[in-house]
Amino acid sequence: MIPLNWYLALSAIIFSIGLYGFISQKNGIRILMCVELMLNSANINLVAFSSYNDDMSGQVFALFSIALAAAEAAIGFAIMMSIYRMRDAINLDELNLLRW
Amino acid sequence: MVDLMLLAPEIIIALTGLIVLMIGIFMGSSSKNVLGYIATAGFLAALAMVIGNFSASALMFSDTLSVDPLSQFFKLVFLVVALIVSVASIKYTEDNTDTEIFYALVLFATFGMMFVASANDLMVLFVAFELASIATYALAGFEKKNPRSVEASMKYLLMGALSAALLLMGISFVYGATGTTSIPGIAQNMEVLTSNAIGLLAIVLLIAGFGFKIALVPFHMWAPDTYQGSPSVVSALLAAGSKKMAFVAAFKVFIVALLAIQADWRMAFAVLSVVTMTYGNVVALSQRSVKRMLAYSSVAQAGYISMAFVVLTPMALTGGILYTLAHGFMKAGAFIATAAVVYMVIKEKRDTEIPDHLDNFKGLGKKMPITALCLTVFVLALAGIPPTAGYMSKFILFSSTIQSGMVWLAVIAILNSALSLYYYARLVRYMYAMPHEGEKVSEPVPYVAALLISLVGVLAIGLWPEPFVEIAMQAASVLVGGM
Repeated sequence: MIPLNWYLALSAIIFSIGLYGFISQKNGIRILMCVELMLNSANINLVAFSSYNDDMSGQVFALFSIALAAAEAAIGFAIMMSIYRMRDAINLDELNLLRW
Repeated sequence: MVDLMLLAPEIIIALTGLIVLMIGIFMGSSSKNVLGYIATAGFLAALAMVIGNFSASALMFSDTLSVDPLSQFFKLVFLVVALIVSVASIKYTEDNTDTEIFYALVLFATFGMMFVASANDLMVLFVAFELASIATYALAGFEKKNPRSVEASMKYLLMGALSAALLLMGISFVYGATGTTSIPGIAQNMEVLTSNAIGLLAIVLLIAGFGFKIALVPFHMWAPDTYQGSPSVVSALLAAGSKKMAFVAAFKVFIVALLAIQADWRMAFAVLSVVTMTYGNVVALSQRSVKRMLAYSSVAQAGYISMAFVVLTPMALTGGILYTLAHGFMKAGAFIATAAVVYMVIKEKRDTEIPDHLDNFKGLGKKMPITALCLTVFVLALAGIPPTAGYMSKFILFSSTIQSGMVWLAVIAILNSALSLYYYARLVRYMYAMPHEGEKVSEPVPYVAALLISLVGVLAIGLWPEPFVEIAMQAASVLVGGM
């Protein structure tokens, strides 16, 4: 059996890639993809813990969080569509109307 | 057997949301005004059910939901705020073709907030948290032709998604270490976390996750942009409702579930609360947009409420919980007042890029006397002037801080309140001491009604605090029960 720590290391690496991308990317779609990476790394954690604790609730939680991630992506793309219609691009650097 | 009467408020809100959505589709846009009244009636009915069952206490659905004084208190906060927003929105959504979507989203957001308040399991808490968040992302971008509104919504969505990811990661570590997602179950298995680095990691992730929603510095950067860019009625819901939802979630997760590692998170909250209140007040000093100023003041108020996590005595928790109710009234009212001013500016077709600019508040005392009077009371309450709700809750919170020996924290908070008086008083000076341009404006009835509801709330808590302190104490005793 693969040790638990390997799963945790995998999820930590994926989480870090997602966080790095969230900070460094300018394109809205890429940022949403990075958020998906972070949410899914948490799902790996939940499923791994669930399997090693012999407790089903972690896997149920992972199913819920997949559904929520889909809902969040849907609303995210809807907002990006309305930005795209206004500006013909989803470059987040250009979203600077609201500043102090 | 589950007593569904205790869930009646949630059921009423969900059904009203579905009804509004379904009948709105088949209505012509001229008759859609009635939807606002249906939603308001739904909120009133749910509010009556909550007040009727105020001292109820029960566990439902395999102990995943708990109805107790804490959940009832926060349901009261959310329903009152949603009621104010829904009354004011009758004017805002007038002549809009998407009225049913607006009200359905407000109702579903409130539904999510109410479930967070009674969640007894991290799974329920997370799902309800996301339900409220996703509904408010869409609300923030409701004016989809207005670049500011869409930008506000985009920033809110990205920060909200990041906070959800951090929160889920934190929850996964708590689950991994304790083997359960039930909040009382986690509290029982706490010894695993005390001796483990996973506990510390989970705390960092959870504080960051909740901190984004509460708008604690340094996780606050979305809040001023979103509150300024969103429609004012939505800003009221965000600042007064969704922020309180994160507070009740944080109360449950930290004070009930993770109490055993309090030494770690109390220190973090001490630093965050001092930084938050100071930064919020200092930056608010230089704002010219009133909504942005209110947003920074809202950041500062989050700093005051977070003091409850640091002091952690029953009295301080009472003060913090009472503050969430008081802040709900004050902030919702203040944002609705700016909504009335923005309406006036748009009606006069003034050529201005920022409709809520401080200059548009000049002479408001003459132009819109009721709005100006209410806004004056709200900003004075936010500054903590007696006899208002802000004074009462600040008094309980700060005096309990001094009693528990944290004089330094109380001194910083009081100095901050004094500082905040400057920018609130400036707004009052603009409204009453500056000459006005243009004619006297007739104030729309829905806005006035919403303002008066908030005004009654602010003054009632200030002048007649005993019943409110009593229910806040009962709510706090649910949290302290585990200590």
